[in-house]
Amino acid sequence: MTTPTGATTDGNTSRPGSTSDLADNATADAPADPGFRGLSPGKLMWRRFLRDRTGVVSACVVLFFVAVAILAPLISMLYGKDPKTHYGQNASDLLTDSGLPTGPNGGISGDFWFGLEPGLGRDVLTLLIYGIRTSLIIAVATSVLTTAIGVALGIAAGYLGGKTDYFIGRVIDVLMSFPSQIFLIATMPVVTGLLVARDQNPPGWLPFVSVTLVLSLLGWMSLARILRGVSLSLREREFIEAAKVTGASPMRIIFKEILPNLWTPILVQSTLALPAFVTAEAGLSYLGVGVTEPTPDWGRMIADGATFLRTDVTFLLFPGIAMVVFVLAFNLLGDSVRDAFDPKTNR
Amino acid sequence: MSSHKTRLAAAILVAGALTVTTACSSGHSNGDGASASKAPAKISSISIGTAEDSKGPAAAEPGAKTGGTVNMIDRDDFSHLDPAQIYLNYNSEVSLLFTRQLTGYKLQADGSQKLVGDLATDTGSTTDGGKTWKFTLKDGVKWQDGSPITSADVKYSIERTYASFIKSGPTYIQGWISGSDYRTAYEGPYGGKQLDAVQTPDDKTVVITFQDIHPDANFTLAMTGYGIVPQAHDTKEEYDKKPFSSGPYQITEHVTDRSLDLERNPNWDPATDPIRNAYPDKWHMSFGVQLQQSTERFMADNGDDKTAFTFHNTVHPNYTDKVKGDDKLKSRTLEGLTPYVDYYYINNDRIKDKKVREALIKAFPHKQTRQLQGGTSYGDYATSYMSPTTLGYESYDPYGILQKPEGDPEAAKKLLTEANAVGTTIVYPYNNTPIQQKVTEAIRDALEKAGFKFVPKPLDAKTYYDTIALVDNGADLYWGGWGADWPTGYTSLQPVWDGRGIADGGQNLAHVNDPAINSAIDAAAKIADPVAQGKAWAAIDKQLQDNAYSIPDVYQRSLSLYGSGLGGVKFDSLMGLQYPLNIYVK
Repeated sequence: MTTPTGATTDGNTSRPGSTSDLADNATADAPADPGFRGLSPGKLMWRRFLRDRTGVVSACVVLFFVAVAILAPLISMLYGKDPKTHYGQNASDLLTDSGLPTGPNGGISGDFWFGLEPGLGRDVLTLLIYGIRTSLIIAVATSVLTTAIGVALGIAAGYLGGKTDYFIGRVIDVLMSFPSQIFLIATMPVVTGLLVARDQNPPGWLPFVSVTLVLSLLGWMSLARILRGVSLSLREREFIEAAKVTGASPMRIIFKEILPNLWTPILVQSTLALPAFVTAEAGLSYLGVGVTEPTPDWGRMIADGATFLRTDVTFLLFPGIAMVVFVLAFNLLGDSVRDAFDPKTNR
Repeated sequence: MSSHKTRLAAAILVAGALTVTTACSSGHSNGDGASASKAPAKISSISIGTAEDSKGPAAAEPGAKTGGTVNMIDRDDFSHLDPAQIYLNYNSEVSLLFTRQLTGYKLQADGSQKLVGDLATDTGSTTDGGKTWKFTLKDGVKWQDGSPITSADVKYSIERTYASFIKSGPTYIQGWISGSDYRTAYEGPYGGKQLDAVQTPDDKTVVITFQDIHPDANFTLAMTGYGIVPQAHDTKEEYDKKPFSSGPYQITEHVTDRSLDLERNPNWDPATDPIRNAYPDKWHMSFGVQLQQSTERFMADNGDDKTAFTFHNTVHPNYTDKVKGDDKLKSRTLEGLTPYVDYYYINNDRIKDKKVREALIKAFPHKQTRQLQGGTSYGDYATSYMSPTTLGYESYDPYGILQKPEGDPEAAKKLLTEANAVGTTIVYPYNNTPIQQKVTEAIRDALEKAGFKFVPKPLDAKTYYDTIALVDNGADLYWGGWGADWPTGYTSLQPVWDGRGIADGGQNLAHVNDPAINSAIDAAAKIADPVAQGKAWAAIDKQLQDNAYSIPDVYQRSLSLYGSGLGGVKFDSLMGLQYPLNIYVK
């Protein structure tokens, strides 16, 4: 799209965050002139979002997954199965001699709605909902952590400039040049090994914490870079200068003046990052370095299922479809959120 | 239509397609697995042949035709081809085609094995109970260049096993001749020195003198590790790539990790060889085919795969039911017992209370762990430390494993309570592979039910053995497999249970040092009569079980396929691999 010359636009329309400038103006203007644009930017955004049908459907799907994850223990209780009991191995007629389910379609029956896991014979439905829970806990924790690190370092680099900017910039360069998958595989056992004594079972939270830490360590850079760029341009703007003149501390300028203008990129980036972390976590488990047995895990289920592709495809089907649907919905949601915040962005 | 909607629609389409495919997936049945589990382990007997049995040619395969090319597909290239470096069954099996020893095993039509003279006219003779062994070579045995194989070649081949670059072969004969520190006693033939313990009174006679009595040395000499190497063509380290043939085939080309091609050796005389048939004209062996791939290729049976077999690649565990349930595959499926026994070693340094060890044996979930690894085709429940393929094997089941292969948590808990040891910590290191993670989960479930505290420790598969082979390994229970080097009790039991062998990197992984066992092993090794010796080993086996030193798990089985265009493919129960010597192209 070509920008019309001589238009009243101030030249930064294509920049994310520019609508949030409006936010400042609007909140400033609103009390003075109640007739002018009766809606706050937040409400505007919400309206735009509701008009986007894909976005709403995606949001419902995502909410459904979140609800399933949160309510997993309740579902398991109502359904009467848990993900740790080896139903197939405890009964004699559910699995064949070499561990495949005897029933058709992977052993789907009134007792086992999604069938049985080949081998140990655990219940696939509870394995899946607890696996989703594991993955979402890790992905959400990682998103929160990376966002916090990214916001702090990105704004600091952009606003403070100079040596701080240079130093943070180089750290980002180094971390980004790391082949992250290989680095994760190499560091995961080390992190676990450091924290657990030889004769002790690792506490249940440990794999969660170590996967989250390792993923966060390598996941914050892109957000930090974007925020650095935006705050670099913001710090030359008049309202920041004004704040400086009135003697505001850098801390106040960062949190009260710059940060409110950055919510759009932060929100968009983190909604897009969350499904990426879900897949990254699944990838780690797929490679055998993530969350270990007996904690159910989504990625590991898919890895296990892949080896039964020809002999018991049902076992791969449920976690696979759930993963495709979830990641797709979350990505579409991310797109919609961005469109709603920043309708001028051309995709 | 907006781009959002297109993507959403595509996603629904994908999901729909997957649902359709699953709708036709049927249930799985046990095939013939259930009936096989009830049948007792088939015991292949081993006997010692006479001079008459040692005469060539080998018994012909009914219906066999000469000619054609046989293909072989497998996961790995042969790690060694120099006989002196060969200890691995996989390397030994291919060496049957081009390396001969003094003695060898003849596979009989009924599947049993007979020790016969290969280069020698019989299985050797001894007049002093096994200290001095005399072998006479056959007439007409030749190298691939037509020169005769003489007693000097045999002597040279034994001397050569002392050389410093020979690192991975067996060391029995060297140790028996020169003591355990044999490399300092003699440096090998390359400095011009000779080994006096091996004498060659004439071109046809070899006399070997040991320091002590070794009545089963003729079995030891049947190992590929004591195959012959010609002095004139010995290229030292290079010999490992392309050995000089004394058997029916010779190597034309060997591309490491890719392929090995063999063609006929014109100077091999079938009349001198009681063991080997040689029907195909050529062999083409290729490597790098994973288990899942080879299973699928044999099932599809297309093109060159029709005339293909595999030494080592078994059916992938997930395909076991499919292969067993398919009648079309039945005629080209091989199943049999390998010489390997799986143990779960109990660390006797850490678990000294016999009652706790008994509780572990009682609680152990053999059925569940076996089911995860392929069921009946993975193995038969073991009731001894010696394999059924060993001379003198006797089944003995003091802990009722055959009655309750799924484990008996109540009985185990009772034993633990009596020993006042409920909650004993069991540290269990395991190979961190997807299958072993599941197996560990099954063991955890069973042991926790019995009242143990279970601590699994994942280990990298490459360093697994190195880690558990440390004397101070910090673990209580760990898996390990063992197979005899030759089918008498000596190599089944001595390396693993002789308390004097406890060392870092040693094979005594249970750390059993029982003076009664040690002396019984010494006594049994000196018994000359094979049958009496077999009985003595079986008695030691029972003694080990009565003390609950470890958990025998399964006698490993092998399930494999080959192409429809081949005949005479048999299972070699000594090595646990497919046997090449009777194969022909239909």
